[in-house]
Amino acid sequence: MTKEAVKGNQKMGIVAGIAGWLVPGLGHLLLRRWSKAAVYFLCIGGLACAGLAMRGGVFGATAEDLFDRLGFMADLGAGIFYFLAHQIQMAGPDVAHATGDYGTRLFAAAGMLNLLTVLEAYDIGRSGEAR
Amino acid sequence: MNALFGGLTHFGALLFFALVVSLTFAFLSKRGTTERVKYALWAFLAFLLVAIGIGWFMYPFSQ
Repeated sequence: MTKEAVKGNQKMGIVAGIAGWLVPGLGHLLLRRWSKAAVYFLCIGGLACAGLAMRGGVFGATAEDLFDRLGFMADLGAGIFYFLAHQIQMAGPDVAHATGDYGTRLFAAAGMLNLLTVLEAYDIGRSGEAR
Repeated sequence: MNALFGGLTHFGALLFFALVVSLTFAFLSKRGTTERVKYALWAFLAFLLVAIGIGWFMYPFSQ
C-alpha cells in the first residue's frame, strides 16, 4: 500500500490531529505513515513514561500561576499519557528530589513533542501529500 | 519501569532525552532513511555538546 492511498481533506486532517493528540502516533497510523506512527508512539510514549517513572509532577487544570498553566498546557499535549498519569505512576510525584524534577521536564517535553506531531498529522491529513 | 528510570542520573536523563527528541525531530523534518539518520546523529551530538559546554561554563559559579 502506498503513502498516497489516503486522499487528503480538511476532515481527515482534523480526525488525524485529534487521534494523534489522544494517542501519540495514532494520527499517522490512520494516514498509513507506519514508520512515523511507530517512532512517535515509542519516543513520546517512552519520554512520558520515563517522566512518570522518575516521579515527575503533572500539572492540573486548576493551576493558579502562569508557569503552572503553561505546564498544564504542555502536559495535556501528551494525550492519553496525561489522563492515565495517576494509573501509570501510582506512587505520585516526588519533586523534592532531582530525579522527580527531571521527570517533570521529560513529561512536559513529551507533551510538546506530541503537539508538533499533531500539527504534522493535521497537515498530512489535510493536504494528502507524502511526507 | 520504575527500576529502569527511577535511579537515572542527570547525565542518563540527558542521554535519553537527547536520543528520543533527536529521533522525533529527524522524522518530523527529514525524508528518507539516510537523511534522517544523519540529522538524528547531528542533533543528538549537538544536544550533548551544548549540555556539556553549558555545564563547563557554569562550573565556576558552583564554587
